[in-house]
Amino acid sequence: MKALLQWIDDRTGVLSAWQDRRQASVLQPPGWLGVWPAAILFTFLVQAVTGFFLWMYYSPSTQTAWESLYFIQYEVAGGWLLRGMHYYAGQMLLAVIGLYVLAMIYSGTYRAPRELLFWLAVAMAAVAIALLLTGDLLSWSQRGYWSTDVRTKFLFLLPWVGGDLYKLAVGGPGMGHLTLTRFLALHAGLFSAVFGVLLLLRAAWARRAALRQAPAASDPHAARSRQALLNALACVGVMAVVLVLCCWGAVGGGQAGQSPGDYLGAELGSPPDPGDAYAAARPDWYFVGLYQFAHYFSGGWKIVPIFVVPGLLVLVFLAMPFLARWAAGHRLNMAATAALAIGVVVLTVISKYQDAKDPDHQASLAAAEQDALRVKELIRAQGIPSGGALALLWEDPKTQGPKLFRQHCLSCHDHAAADGSGMLAENPSAPNLHRFATAEWIAGLLDRKQIAYAPPRDPQTGKLQCTPTDRPRYFGGTEKLVKGDMVDFVKGNLREVRKDVGEKEFRTMIATLASEPARTPREKPSEEVKQAIGDFTCFDCHHFHGENKAPVAPDFTRYGSTEWLVGIISNPADPRFYGKNNERMPAYAKTPDAPENNILSLRQIGILADWLRGVWYEPVASVE
Amino acid sequence: MESPDRATCPCCGDPETGQPRRGFLAKSLALALGAAAFATPVVVGIISFLNPLRQKGQAGELLRLASLEGLPEGGPPVKVPVIMDRVDAWNRFPKQPVGAVFLRRTAKDQVLALHVVCPHAGCFVDYDEANKQYHCPCHKATFDLEGKRLEERSESPRDLDELEVEVRGAEVWVKFERFQPGSTEKISQA
Repeated sequence: MKALLQWIDDRTGVLSAWQDRRQASVLQPPGWLGVWPAAILFTFLVQAVTGFFLWMYYSPSTQTAWESLYFIQYEVAGGWLLRGMHYYAGQMLLAVIGLYVLAMIYSGTYRAPRELLFWLAVAMAAVAIALLLTGDLLSWSQRGYWSTDVRTKFLFLLPWVGGDLYKLAVGGPGMGHLTLTRFLALHAGLFSAVFGVLLLLRAAWARRAALRQAPAASDPHAARSRQALLNALACVGVMAVVLVLCCWGAVGGGQAGQSPGDYLGAELGSPPDPGDAYAAARPDWYFVGLYQFAHYFSGGWKIVPIFVVPGLLVLVFLAMPFLARWAAGHRLNMAATAALAIGVVVLTVISKYQDAKDPDHQASLAAAEQDALRVKELIRAQGIPSGGALALLWEDPKTQGPKLFRQHCLSCHDHAAADGSGMLAENPSAPNLHRFATAEWIAGLLDRKQIAYAPPRDPQTGKLQCTPTDRPRYFGGTEKLVKGDMVDFVKGNLREVRKDVGEKEFRTMIATLASEPARTPREKPSEEVKQAIGDFTCFDCHHFHGENKAPVAPDFTRYGSTEWLVGIISNPADPRFYGKNNERMPAYAKTPDAPENNILSLRQIGILADWLRGVWYEPVASVE
Repeated sequence: MESPDRATCPCCGDPETGQPRRGFLAKSLALALGAAAFATPVVVGIISFLNPLRQKGQAGELLRLASLEGLPEGGPPVKVPVIMDRVDAWNRFPKQPVGAVFLRRTAKDQVLALHVVCPHAGCFVDYDEANKQYHCPCHKATFDLEGKRLEERSESPRDLDELEVEVRGAEVWVKFERFQPGSTEKISQA
């Protein structure tokens, strides 16, 4: 056996190197300051192991990156824990290196002969940051995507080469498949390998540094055992913190029916939507200070916080071991490090405080969380189509409807319940479309008190003085319609007609009109149905399944159906709807044959119409 | 096991006094703790790696493949494509062709369903109308109308795989399953 080991050692030198290392480790006094290198090595190994297994499932393309992460988080046994460990241990790696750097400065062990060891620690911090930044994009959620979008665009701040550097960083003129493949190669390949090399260099150079010092321990074997135990405890500590962070969500307790992936491990946000800029994208904790610092600069001056100051900081850190040759230099280093640490903490607190009291930021976060919950709900019902999970969201009226409405309709229309909850226009000048064309909505329209109601106008600005609950619901804010025939009719003749025909018939008429969307396109109404509506003289102006050939008001045929809504949104000035009486409503798809000329695609209008009607998928369990 | 440098071996004690070394306990504890900490990510990783073993294939689903009218009694076998939702990891592809089945009506309300895949190496067999037999284009195995091997020493380790058929009124329902190629027994791939 001895001969075999000797044979191996002669040819490889592995065992001798190990012996040397053991001898060298005896030369250092045991203590907590010595555990940092072990903790760094351990955390990096955790990253290597978890990263390798994640790599087996990860698929770097825009249609599969988030989807494969979903698969890991929800379908793979232990996947949430694997992903959570990688996420939190990555941040632990930077934290541990940061503490190591601080410990070296504080204890003075960054001085000769350990200058290069200190440099290696600074380099490790830089590579750990590079790993975190590339990893952030690989998470391919709204947050990761838009954070990276901002960061890569900082490259444009650099003179002359900025544009080219940006293209090289993202793999083309914009972010996409090639950004993911590039970042994965950098993250799992280059940066990981460089970190490994730095660790090996540190091990070799630490030995040389130790050999230059006199033995400090009187009992080398006991000292070595003690140090080994401290190192092991540090590793256990790192792992414990990572596991606690992974399982922290269990403290709140998962709700019934939730999968562990919903509340354990790292959060899986909604898939990135390049068409829906995410205003609440914030860096992780280690960059929040810099993020806030950058806020105090604008335009071209951003180059100062983004490139100049961090570059100078690195230079200052590299110079520290040499400054420390003088006692004053060491004190200066301590003071500078403390000032930097305090500055980062203060900036971080300011940023977090500002976000916490910013309603827009909170709304943006809440909207992203809604999207994340919704897309998972849709996946559980329908599976992920080949176009990716984002396609599910794009086709979903429940989440896309409000976005489209806010963007295109809210400048005139409210979409809010009577108590003011929902979306309120700043200056409502068109009907509230909440529960449009339902019996309740139609009954309100036919109410003489409601149809033209509007709060008084401000004498100076001429704007309606609306509160969330006191505002026009129908034509009150619509200048032309408020003086139109419908308002005249409701305020005038309708009372007589109602008296003549009867109250019961009036309610039947409303119910009949409200059930028009349920009629299939080919189904013709019976004569009773026509009569129920016609008795109220509606066909004097409105067309209904062939009644009234020369209508001057919107068609009642399938009134309020998706098809009807798509029609009026596409072109309200069509003779079927308002015709020449159309006041201000834009035609969103006037030319179906030439989609490029239209404001919205027919698909988007269909989604908007379905949302207005309340037609979307809901899981069975949540229907009460 | 002996280390080349006996004097520093942690487990066998001091060679001169024969006493276990001080710190041996600490060292063992350190080793145990370190191993436990490192084992955590390794074990979680291996569990995730083994996940495919938990995944079931989409087999054994009863599908409506044809109506009896399309299969004349005593007529030749008809190759019917099998259309199913295909699941690939996180993706679901609705209504994809996933295979095919030969259907042949043997009696008034009896249909024989043979899986189109040759049990030897998984090639699709063809039906040869002239010789009234199936033949595999890859390694020339032939099968009769019942799916029995025709050669004495056939390339195929077993007869063509028969699938369960249920005739419901005028509809032919088949339990679509895949079987492992290369074995003499029909072993479901699920």
